Amino acid sequence: MMDIRENRSQKISVTIDGKVCEATTDDTILRIARKNGIYIPTMCYLSKVEPIASCRMCVVEVEGVEGAILSCQARATDGAVITTKSNHLHKQRQNIMKLYNVNHPLECGVCDKSGECDLQNKTLEFGVNAQSFTAKDMLRPVENWGFVSYDPALCIMCEKCVRVANEITGNEALQISTGGYKSTIVNVKKDFNDASLGESAAVCPVGALVSTDFKYRSNSWELDKIPATCAHCSSGCSLYYEVKNDKIYRVTNDFEFRSLCGAGRFGFDFANENASKDSEAFTNAISAFKEADTIRFSAIISNEEALILQKLKEKYDYRLVCDEAYGYQQFLKAFGSVSGESLYSANLESLSNSKGIIVLGSRINDDNPMVKYHINMASKRNRARVVYMHPIEDSNISNIVTQFIKYEVGSEEGATALLANTLLQDKELPSSLRDFLNDLDIGNISAESNIGEEELAALVQSLDKKTGFTLVVGSDLYDHPRAVQIAKLIGAIEKYSDFDVLLVPPATNALGVSLICALDDNAGDYTIGYNAVGDFELSCLGDGDLDMPALNQQEGTFTTIDKRVVPTNVALSYNGYVLNDIANALGLEAVYTIDYTSMLPSKAGFKAMTFDELPFGFDVSGVEHRGYLLGSKPVKTVEAFEELEEIPTYDGAIIYRCNEAGQCNMLTNRTEALKQNEVCLKGSAQFATVAKITDGDEIEYMVDGIRYKRRFKLDSSLKGTIALHPNYDMELSSTLVSSYRFSHLALEQ
Amino acid sequence: MHEEIIHTDSTSKEKQNYVMLELGSTPAYGWPAFKQVVKRTVNGELFVGLWITLKEMGKTLFKGGKHTTMYPFEKMPISPRYRAIHNMLRLLESGHYRCIGCGLCEKICISNCIAMETRYDENQRKEVSEYTINFGRCIYCGYCAEVCPELAIVHGGRYETASEQRASFSLFDDMLTPIDMLKQQQEFAGFGSVTPNADAAIKKTPLAY
Repeated sequence: MMDIRENRSQKISVTIDGKVCEATTDDTILRIARKNGIYIPTMCYLSKVEPIASCRMCVVEVEGVEGAILSCQARATDGAVITTKSNHLHKQRQNIMKLYNVNHPLECGVCDKSGECDLQNKTLEFGVNAQSFTAKDMLRPVENWGFVSYDPALCIMCEKCVRVANEITGNEALQISTGGYKSTIVNVKKDFNDASLGESAAVCPVGALVSTDFKYRSNSWELDKIPATCAHCSSGCSLYYEVKNDKIYRVTNDFEFRSLCGAGRFGFDFANENASKDSEAFTNAISAFKEADTIRFSAIISNEEALILQKLKEKYDYRLVCDEAYGYQQFLKAFGSVSGESLYSANLESLSNSKGIIVLGSRINDDNPMVKYHINMASKRNRARVVYMHPIEDSNISNIVTQFIKYEVGSEEGATALLANTLLQDKELPSSLRDFLNDLDIGNISAESNIGEEELAALVQSLDKKTGFTLVVGSDLYDHPRAVQIAKLIGAIEKYSDFDVLLVPPATNALGVSLICALDDNAGDYTIGYNAVGDFELSCLGDGDLDMPALNQQEGTFTTIDKRVVPTNVALSYNGYVLNDIANALGLEAVYTIDYTSMLPSKAGFKAMTFDELPFGFDVSGVEHRGYLLGSKPVKTVEAFEELEEIPTYDGAIIYRCNEAGQCNMLTNRTEALKQNEVCLKGSAQFATVAKITDGDEIEYMVDGIRYKRRFKLDSSLKGTIALHPNYDMELSSTLVSSYRFSHLALEQ
Repeated sequence: MHEEIIHTDSTSKEKQNYVMLELGSTPAYGWPAFKQVVKRTVNGELFVGLWITLKEMGKTLFKGGKHTTMYPFEKMPISPRYRAIHNMLRLLESGHYRCIGCGLCEKICISNCIAMETRYDENQRKEVSEYTINFGRCIYCGYCAEVCPELAIVHGGRYETASEQRASFSLFDDMLTPIDMLKQQQEFAGFGSVTPNADAAIKKTPLAY
């Protein structure tokens, strides 16, 4: 195994167009050429998926080899002499372009893609100015698939969209209907309007697959691209807000190398519009800050703002409460106390390269779509084993999950202990941990948590003879009553097993907040709420006591799941007050919020870089140059494990806090494309029986002291007695999420 | 040498048609001067001149000899090359406006005065939902008309751009050919075309005599 791997990464040198290029044996000719700045035209090549090889534009000649070679999929051999430009190749490519242009509607004048169209560019590049081939045209009506529309007449059948749907997003909605000139792309899941099809539209080289909402709204050249970071979840994907006349028209991204989820792609209009400098409200805010003893805030916040709050805490001794990040911070701390590092080791890229993945304590498809995409990539490219451990089976990811291990609600501690015991079986461990694992009453835990020993044995067996494992941990564990113990066990897995751990941050900047702020666990008497519930509310939703800018109206940095500090820029104007104005009035001194970027705590791994020094973008070979990576700091280890606690019983109707249907938080539900008119509690028929409710019932229930009024909706894809309870429509109250995600349904009459 | 050239010049040798006028003698002192004044005053020469004026007035008023253009009620035909307030033309067959919303005029406009909004309409066409030209900024360069692939935007002859507000001309509907005037819609003759009365306006130049 190791020999093959070493052999693979052998260094070679090839000559392309007379230029000697250093490469490795697992590089394709096209990649080597691009890395060295040599241009080879392509129509169907997309860096982020496996070569499609449908266009044949990338043909090259290799000395000593008969015929043309497809450079996108051919790997280079040592000493190869490659020619990318010759009269013969040019003629061949020109012919391909002539064929692409057969009956292609001449509607560039109105086509959305005009100006950024590969077909347009290559047609001009190869000087195709006449139609030398013809075919009988036929009626090909435009199809509306919801978020995206498909015009088969414009389609050049490059297959990029299909590959993305299968290999990246994993919705598997698109297929090719082959039939020569009659070939089209078909959507086999038309009933399910999936926002992740936006990824397929993004890679379309022509105007065939476009966003329905954006269609015919603006020409691409009229829009200003504002480089920014998605504010919806902790993946912090890079994107561009495309703006004209102070309005965001669409979101694009570097689709060649990265993707976005539906929320990032279509949920962009969440700005706090029409805010103005209301000096009276500002004065009230200052006096409220003087009176308050607590600042409660949402983790949908920039690093700089978090630092301002921390500095205010240091100056005025506020309690800082962030329900979304507190559990995560404690978890990270306990995790580090065993693993010896302040941060976890995995990132999204290592996840997509894994051959074995365990997901524990997260409904990952809804919690973090980008993590799911990367699991899907690992599944499709490496045939990775994906073990999904959760109390609820998720039918949306059944196509990539190879083993579903169901455990009882509340038994996460036992489940983690069993997992640790399994994964650390034949590893060399310190005696305290070995004793702890030996003392586990496996039979009892197995019975209580409902995880069969044979299931774990199957798991071990399936990972046998593979390398590269990732354990994805989600927020069911962070807010668990036994989170500290669970975190220590996960830390032990990170340190002693072959697994890299990915602790998925539960909210946009939960990781940044955890590293920057000293959080308190409970609030005092008078609370300032910053995008959270409080006695005086600063809100970017526009309904608080003082307006604040939304995250697409301010500049700053986020800390992402990749442990990367990334910049985001102002897409829309904002005329009101910002947190920095309040901080200045309270005695801190900074002209701009981003003056704090270089002051982010180096103790936590931040660098003393100013905001303007932070780069943004990718190089030609797809390496991300965006912001900087946090350094992990060594932590003093204290390996002390407690006895496992009795597993609490969760009988009857249980609800699980989960923002499904492509929603991430209170902001996505404000956007035009994603807004849900009615938010339902979704459960199975079994749940309905246990809770004594029927489909369509109006019910009221309490969770964490908040009253929810919901209609109950039967969902046939769910099983068991657990219902999905969303809270993205609760505006500022949606940030009050400090408790365990599962709870009893407390119906009120 | 110099003198020779003058003498060989044929025109200088031709007979000149200059005539000396018989002006009589100018009174040299008081009495004859006084007589001349009295004579000129009473012999009615004044009315000869006035009669000519009266005759011309009659011709102008009653016989159509008037040369005045009664602006603003009357306007001289303006050259099609002239670039005044834009016209938006319609398709002659369907009456639908020609603009396809391609945005090239917006892009090429060097004073950045064209703004448009488009959308996907019910007939799967690109519909122009907003179209304005800020005539406070427009420099009438004509690039928009030149770039238009559909001959939809052209320069018209409305050169009077004084208004109480700039918005007066700038909306799409103001520039669009009224639907009942479709038959009268003039096709833009193209750049470099001549005025409709160009032939009539030709005057013989002195060289033609």
